[in-house]
Amino acid sequence: MNTTKINHKNIYYPPGGILMWIIIFLELITFGIALIVLAVSSKENPVLFHTSSTHLNTTYGAINTVFLLTSGFFMATAVHQFKLKDFKKSSFYLKLTMLGGILFLLLKTIEYNRKIALGFVLGYDTFFNFYWLLTGFHVIHVIVGLVILLFMHRSLKKDTALLEDVEASAAFWHMCDLIWLLLFPVLYLIF
Amino acid sequence: MMKKNNIYTLGALILLTLSTALISGITTLKIGTLLILGLSAVKFLLVAFNFMALKKAHIFWQIALIGFLIVFVGIVGIVI
Repeated sequence: MNTTKINHKNIYYPPGGILMWIIIFLELITFGIALIVLAVSSKENPVLFHTSSTHLNTTYGAINTVFLLTSGFFMATAVHQFKLKDFKKSSFYLKLTMLGGILFLLLKTIEYNRKIALGFVLGYDTFFNFYWLLTGFHVIHVIVGLVILLFMHRSLKKDTALLEDVEASAAFWHMCDLIWLLLFPVLYLIF
Repeated sequence: MMKKNNIYTLGALILLTLSTALISGITTLKIGTLLILGLSAVKFLLVAFNFMALKKAHIFWQIALIGFLIVFVGIVGIVI
């Protein structure tokens, strides 16, 4: 396996690669604009936004944040172990990373089921339109991230993984953390 | 072996997450909202600089991400 060190101080080689960072910035800007539009919309009907946001379970949101952050920690550790050429440990931490993502999706499924059972579906009101679209798109990112990690794990097992690929996969996974760290306070905490 | 720095970062991130959830339950004042946004911004930077190893990247990427965060938190903080 190729674990050759990359000079990340070069502007063209940030950790994960320049293309991945362009994607990360585009994603952050897209979600950021949507959240700003949500904040602006809340000024038109603050009572509705406050009432609707009280229907969200902050505990679920906080636990899901911990799942994603812990998963991100394991991802960083997997990359560290890969650089140390301990591929067995790297593979182990990659599995833990995926477990964190799966737990996030499981809790999100429970949360979605409860919202649907209570009738807070897409179209219920403006707040819940934002809630479903923003968290739904984020969930899609997490699923895509899990698929990427699954392929990465297979490459590790076959001894064909490259450091660039491991770092790019990690950058995508951490991007899911970053997006969630913007969504969680705005949707669950501040209205 | 795990990097100690990353373990401390994870501990800080979990503490900050619990803090923001607690603050949200205690107050609905503007200052509480700004505090939640500020602490969330710190979490964002901890993930980017430590877990994503942005601290090892060229300063352009560091400034770009910090710039994005300042604009985002600034606009949401003013609007809310």
